[in-house]
Amino acid sequence: MQEQIVTQLRAIVGPEGILTDPAALLAYESDGLTLKRHRPELVLLPRDTSETAQCMRVLHEHGIPLVPRGAGTGLSGGATPVPNGVLVGTARMRDVLELNVEDRFARVQAGVVNVDLTRCCDDDGLFYAPDPSSQMACTIGGNVAENSGGPHCFKYGSTTRHILGLVIVTATGEVLHLDEPEVDPEGLDLVGLFVGSEGMFGVATEITVQLTPVPPVTETLLAIFNALDPCCDAVSDLIAARLEPSAIEILDKLTIQAVEASVFAAGYPQEAEAVLLLEVEGREAAVEDTVERMLPILEAHGLLEVRRARDAGERRKLWAGRKGAFGAMGRIAPDLYVADVVVPRTRLREIVRYATDVCTERNLKISNVFHAGDGNLHPNISYDRRDEDEVARVLEAGDLIMEACIEYGGSLSGEHGVGLEKQAMMSRLFTPDDLSVMERVRRCLDPDIRLNPGKMFPVRSCKEVRPQLAGSSGESA
Amino acid sequence: MSTFSREAGAALIEHAQSLDCIHCGLCLHTCPTYQLTGNESASPRGRIHLMRAEAEGRIEPDHSFEEAMNSCLLCLRCESVCPAGVRFESMMESCRDGLDSVRPKGWLARLARRIGFGRILPSRTGIRFTLGALKLAQILGLTRLAPLLLGARGRALASLPSVPPRAERQPLDLAAPASGSETQEAWLMEGCVMPELFGRVNRASAAVLAAAGVHCRTRAEHTCCGALHAHNGDLAGARDLARSTIIAFESSENIPIVVNSAGCGSHMKEYPRLFTEDPEWLDRAQAFSSRVVDFTEFLATPERLDPLKSRLGRSKSGTLAFDDPCHLCHGQGVRSAPRTLLAAIPGVEVVELEDPEACCGSAGIHSMLRPEDSSALLADKLRDLERSGAQTLVTANPGCHMQWAGGLAQAKPGKQVQHIAEVLAKALEPDAS
Repeated sequence: MQEQIVTQLRAIVGPEGILTDPAALLAYESDGLTLKRHRPELVLLPRDTSETAQCMRVLHEHGIPLVPRGAGTGLSGGATPVPNGVLVGTARMRDVLELNVEDRFARVQAGVVNVDLTRCCDDDGLFYAPDPSSQMACTIGGNVAENSGGPHCFKYGSTTRHILGLVIVTATGEVLHLDEPEVDPEGLDLVGLFVGSEGMFGVATEITVQLTPVPPVTETLLAIFNALDPCCDAVSDLIAARLEPSAIEILDKLTIQAVEASVFAAGYPQEAEAVLLLEVEGREAAVEDTVERMLPILEAHGLLEVRRARDAGERRKLWAGRKGAFGAMGRIAPDLYVADVVVPRTRLREIVRYATDVCTERNLKISNVFHAGDGNLHPNISYDRRDEDEVARVLEAGDLIMEACIEYGGSLSGEHGVGLEKQAMMSRLFTPDDLSVMERVRRCLDPDIRLNPGKMFPVRSCKEVRPQLAGSSGESA
Repeated sequence: MSTFSREAGAALIEHAQSLDCIHCGLCLHTCPTYQLTGNESASPRGRIHLMRAEAEGRIEPDHSFEEAMNSCLLCLRCESVCPAGVRFESMMESCRDGLDSVRPKGWLARLARRIGFGRILPSRTGIRFTLGALKLAQILGLTRLAPLLLGARGRALASLPSVPPRAERQPLDLAAPASGSETQEAWLMEGCVMPELFGRVNRASAAVLAAAGVHCRTRAEHTCCGALHAHNGDLAGARDLARSTIIAFESSENIPIVVNSAGCGSHMKEYPRLFTEDPEWLDRAQAFSSRVVDFTEFLATPERLDPLKSRLGRSKSGTLAFDDPCHLCHGQGVRSAPRTLLAAIPGVEVVELEDPEACCGSAGIHSMLRPEDSSALLADKLRDLERSGAQTLVTANPGCHMQWAGGLAQAKPGKQVQHIAEVLAKALEPDAS
């Protein structure tokens, strides 16, 4: 990076807002997808929309590619730096700009951490509904980029349903104000277009989110099963019976054991083959009614025992265990491949079985923890990135699982985004025409392809893009 | 594959330890330095990533690496939220120890450390002499000049609590019969600077223990446990002090060692970690560490809490808030014990701070080494205290005690900080004290 550009940028963000030292930069070489790494040329940490816009103008003038980054907890490589690129991080944009309890919205900077949104309004009986498992750390800006989900999105819908407005800095450094908190904006729904664009349409700097009233009664149930298959079938039947819990999660034995060994031990029974974590919300009578109608369905599938959280503390613990599950897998192996596929819920059992077989055949350790209610699976494969052969087997298994999901009428990504991880599979799900339409939309906002280039769309040469091996990406470019 | 160019064993940390981190990032939001800077290399995940990269020979331990490691407060809050159970403290200690030889500090820092860690802390005379000199400087008003001469570090020096008069700077005298019907014996560890700066806390601790039916013994000649050494990259010094501490207390095997300084207690519970390659001392360290118990943890069990309760009268302490010392809640996992004790005092109202497990910025000698960071963290805590409405901030660690005292003296003259032992001692009926 030319010294003159660095000086220009430093003048905008100040000495604390620009990182150029080797160690500081190396810490940004990957997000939660550690398989793919690349050291950025520069990291910028602007404090607000104006600084971001000024930086983006400078980068535009010099034709420098950039990748936006929230907390770097994403699992698809959305925030992996790109060759000769700059990272624009939102970690210093953490102010809640406005909280409007009457109209139930909050306007926040993009770097506000998901869980802090709820913390800022829970005294007023409100909460921010989308709750990705990384909500303790992930930012609302990152949630917008990936259209993140979470256990409670079964009832409340994923991020896109909760975003009322955005302030966006475009590729050229222009600021777009799409932040009138109206339910149905006039003209094109550009906010809807932006959510889930994985950092390719611009950098969101301010976000207006809808806040949801805390339901009067919440009941959390832990249903214990002696096998994973009937647990999956029970979910399918709950859905078919038109029952409406707010969250339906499955954890299998390996996951339970990892969580129970951790600081998030939630009291899941370690001898169980699978548990269902269910939450029912609403008015007391309705909650009771739903629970009563759920129980026979669970029993019909071999329910061993059902435990109810007695108070808010127990409920928090049950959920903290679920949400610490990914991290807890660090106890099994140094790395974890988290697939994020979606299938129709009637096919849950089949795909879980298939994923297990695929991994067993390849001598891989698989664990399952997933948003069963949404049919959104996370077959998690533990591995060690230093073992080249194991990495190859993991990627092969991942591809096979994704292919099977497409075949079953599902999709590649429930909530993590495509990024680098599922890029190559996009051409299996979409026709060349589909992909070319998407690329044309992208070029409207970023004609030079400088925003998060090389992600999501398959590379249009004859060779497929496969995630490279550890150590070969960061240093070679 | 990565090139592991460096020889095995030359890395700053044991590479295998870094593999526990799966890069989930749940630690980010709880890390005080990440909160201050938004910089990944000032986060636990970033630091572990760099330690691993160093061990794999992918990065040189240059100044930016050193900065990433030295900016850490070692508050251990990341360990409290890490689902993978990464042993961050142990990695950071070994990394800093290694850095010390790879990147030697300047002569002034080396000299300061050699005197501070090597001469003053391990010796009662050394500590007395230093505190005497500080007292003299305070009387002459020299500490007020420190900010002019030394900038922010000088301000930290100037905000040190005033050294009590000599009469109070005495080791505990337990010859006077502690009243009541003692049924149990315990060592009360007096600490290094505690007898000088917080003699009143040690006296209060002994009084409260006596009221709970515990007869205390002390070892006047023992001083430093070596916690500061271990945290600041001097593992050899830490081992020496650990050995002398173990020797000082190991003759009486089954008697618990009660510690009223959370930082020291946390470190002494981890002594075995210093001796993983020394089987003889490992055994002795394990035996020793299993006896170490925090003052609050020791008292909050029914066999001691019940007799203590019967001695507690109505207190005029008013509204209290307990601020969890990092090395009590994150280091030792002790959270409910201090609250149980405070709740047992009739007449006091206990309120919670918004984020009682956040670091106050003291962090051993961090407040001296990085005063700007330290005061930024303290500012948040002072705001939380104001919002809580508490008059008295209760702590259980001398470092935090000094940090709060300095901050309150400047910003909130109406409020005070006390060690939990002082609060309890104040509530003892007249005949118990």
